[in-house]
Amino acid sequence: MSNLKKRLAAYARVVTKRQPAARGLTVYPDDTFLVSFPRSGNTWTRFLVCNLMNPDDPVDFAQLESRIPEIYYVTDRNLRAFPRPRVIKSHECFDPRYKKIIYIVRDPRDVLISYYEFQLKRRVISEDCSLEEFLPRFMESEIEPDTGSWRDHVASWMATRGGHKNFLQLRYEEMLANTQKETTKIASFLGLDSNPERIARAVALSSADRMRKLEKEQSRQWKATQKTRQDKAFVRKAEAGGWKSNLPERCVAQIESAWGDVMRSVGYELELMNANGAVTR
Amino acid sequence: MGETINKILYAVNYVLARDIAGRTFHVLPDDIFLVSYPKSGNTWTRFLLGNLINPDEGITFANVERKVPDIYAKSRRALKELPRPRVIKSHECFDPRYRRVIYIVRDPRDVALSAYHYDRKGKNIPDGFPVETYVTTRFMKTDEYFGAWGEHAGSWLVNSKNVFQISRLKGEFLGTIGSWGENAMSWLGARGHDREFLLVRYEDLLEDTQREMTRVSEFLGLGASRERIARAIEVSTADSMRKLEDQQSNTWVTTRDSRKDIPFVRSATSGQWKEALPSASVLEIEAAWGPVMQLLGYPLSRELRSETLARNS
Repeated sequence: MSNLKKRLAAYARVVTKRQPAARGLTVYPDDTFLVSFPRSGNTWTRFLVCNLMNPDDPVDFAQLESRIPEIYYVTDRNLRAFPRPRVIKSHECFDPRYKKIIYIVRDPRDVLISYYEFQLKRRVISEDCSLEEFLPRFMESEIEPDTGSWRDHVASWMATRGGHKNFLQLRYEEMLANTQKETTKIASFLGLDSNPERIARAVALSSADRMRKLEKEQSRQWKATQKTRQDKAFVRKAEAGGWKSNLPERCVAQIESAWGDVMRSVGYELELMNANGAVTR
Repeated sequence: MGETINKILYAVNYVLARDIAGRTFHVLPDDIFLVSYPKSGNTWTRFLLGNLINPDEGITFANVERKVPDIYAKSRRALKELPRPRVIKSHECFDPRYRRVIYIVRDPRDVALSAYHYDRKGKNIPDGFPVETYVTTRFMKTDEYFGAWGEHAGSWLVNSKNVFQISRLKGEFLGTIGSWGENAMSWLGARGHDREFLLVRYEDLLEDTQREMTRVSEFLGLGASRERIARAIEVSTADSMRKLEDQQSNTWVTTRDSRKDIPFVRSATSGQWKEALPSASVLEIEAAWGPVMQLLGYPLSRELRSETLARNS
């Protein structure tokens, strides 16, 4: 019954054109997209960009969707009403209509852990599903088939746009290690003032600590966290390399053997495999 | 008033799943996709594969949309009602939901010429339109604004004589197809090494159809015999397709509203660009996509020249 109700509600949304824009988005030539596979630092980047653009009115979770909207939450009609040029957040694989893109990539071994935790938070999986059991579902993009796998995502963008002047590729790990430098890249890419104080201010306003504090106050006001478990955080550790201590070796081997070539091409060293694809330990 | 009627029609069509499948239909894990950039031999492959899978009822232009449907021509409902596994034709750039993909690629210099004649046939450009201008302003140009599926859905349903044409009004299929280079690289990049991805070059298919169709048959696990493959090829030749087109071009959605004095099945050859494509256009294409062309084994004109020089000396 609830299934039927859900289907009817979905019908009603489409028929009245109130479904989220997603792939049906109307793209304008002056749009800028923040694109990444989920759990790769996209929300942090949205904070950084908002705080670069508007340092006097720092962004929080309650306003985030009205500053840098996410195509999965807002209808196309509402998105068309946004002031231009728009900055839009997306998790789509390669879309030829996107012309100016900030693309964030993160080590898939860390993405897996973060993605797993987030699905727990969303109640898509329960605690009795272990990380190891979850891995094949992650690799087959079972939860979000429209997004594709990490490999699909990264390879489809890098093969088409890698190296283009309107494609800024960032690595989450470098953003963490040298936030000031990477944020300066973002500012110049967007044609924003990149004087060091302004960058530093945006970085400070977007720190993990500040985001955690805001999440505590506003998690009920933000679409992404509203209906999720409140005992699990959206802003988690905000660190790199957690997989080294938390990911079973078998999982590392599976990820590296399936995605090793793409991982290496975006600068991630493999732990268990050599250049020929053979497991070394 | 017209606007309201459009909205109601849109709603009714959506509820009945009569809207165009496009990117909105439900993809099944055993679907087989024939994907290519437009004008790259997709229709021929649909005939070849359709005739191979079901030798008893030959593919014609009158039944091809039922047997190997085009996502831009058929409704969500029509696709839903097909027996599985479905074989579906698409021109989309990489779509992660497609699991089993036969990707057909063709030399972009020939694709440009074929697209030029196809746009003449479709009355998108007049006779005598300069090929050079066509290549620069239409074939290569990908940075213009394209609307969303939803924005056009209403008008399609009302005037849905030929979605193929309507969707090309903005120069391309609503922009989700990208340029030749983007289309090829998005698929090769994401799935090039996947065992559920088969790359077929149109030129190879022309050169040795039996060999390439054997690859396709093995890829799909059809276990077709030599004779069965040969028979499918025989009933899918350019000549038999031309004969069918003569009789059925008014039935087929793709050709129905187009000029009848220009055929859909053209020369069915490769390398025409060497004579017919202006050298400025050749250079423009090679400058944009040279590395992709080389990756796919399409030598650039300077390489061809040095080859000829080497042979002659």
